[in-house]
Amino acid sequence: MRFLVVDDSSTMRRIIINTLNKLGYQDVIEASNGREGMERLTDGSVDLIITDWNMPEMNGIDFIRSVRAMDGKQHLPVLMVTTNAAKDDIVEALRAGVNNYVVKPFTPDTIKEKIDAVLAR
Amino acid sequence: MASPVAAVDPQSTLPMIDTLRSCAIDVFDTMVGTALGESTPLAGDALRPQSNVVAQIGFGGSRSGLVVFYATFDGAAHITRALLCMEPTDVPSPPEIADAVGEITNMVAGSFRTRMANEGDAWAISIPTVTMGSDFYMTPLSDGSRTMLPFRMGDHEIFVELVVTSKARRA
Repeated sequence: MRFLVVDDSSTMRRIIINTLNKLGYQDVIEASNGREGMERLTDGSVDLIITDWNMPEMNGIDFIRSVRAMDGKQHLPVLMVTTNAAKDDIVEALRAGVNNYVVKPFTPDTIKEKIDAVLAR
Repeated sequence: MASPVAAVDPQSTLPMIDTLRSCAIDVFDTMVGTALGESTPLAGDALRPQSNVVAQIGFGGSRSGLVVFYATFDGAAHITRALLCMEPTDVPSPPEIADAVGEITNMVAGSFRTRMANEGDAWAISIPTVTMGSDFYMTPLSDGSRTMLPFRMGDHEIFVELVVTSKARRA
C-alpha cells in the first residue's frame, strides 16, 4: 500500500511518516503542497492520501477538489490532518471530498484508528 | 473612513489567555511528551524573554492579534528532537529547528483558533513566521493587550505570548 503525505511542514511530514512506518506502512511518498501533491499523483499510483489543510501555493481543500476531479480518483481514500477543527471547517472538508479527519495534536493511535476507518469504507 | 482605534479591555482577553494556556499544555503533552510547568502570566511590555528562536502566527476575524512562541536554541533543539524522534545526542540543523518550532506554534495557535471558534469567535490564522538568531529585537505593538505565559519544559524555559490588537472600525 502506497501513501502520499502532503504537508508544507517537513516536521509534520516526518512525524506522519515515522508513525506510518511504526504501523507497518513503509511505502510513503511526500509533497510540500497541493500542487506538488498533484504532480506525485500523476507520477504513479497512490492508495491513500494524508494531507494538511493550510499550505502555500495550493491548500488542502483545493488539492482534494482537484483530486476528486481527476479520472479514477473519485473514491481514493483521503485523510486530512489539520488544526482546523471547528464545525464549519469539518463540513467544508467533507464537502471537498475528505473521507476522515485527524485533529492536531494527535497520537499514533488516532492515526491508526482513522486509517483503518478510511480503508474499511 | 476609519474611526479612532478602540483600546483593548484586558479583562476581555482573560478567557482567551486561559484557552491559549490550555492549548499549549495539551500540544506539548501530546506531541513533545512533556508536561509543562506553569508560572504566573505577565501582562504588558515589561518582560521580553532572552530567546533565540521566535515564531509568530497572526489571527484575524472577530478578534485579531498574534500568538508568539519564544525559546532558546537549546529549548528549541529539545522540541525538535522530540518531534522528529531523534536521539538525545543528535544535533538538529537550523532549518529543522525552524520548521519544528513553526509547526509546534502552528499546533498551539490552530488549537486555540478551533477552541475559540467553538465559543463563537471565528478567525482565520496565518502560516508561521520563524525568526532565529542572537541579535534581533521584536518591536512591541503600541495599541494591543500583551500577556506572556511562562512555562517550564524540563531544564528549559519557554514562553507563549498572546497579543490582542485593537481594530479601527469602519464608519
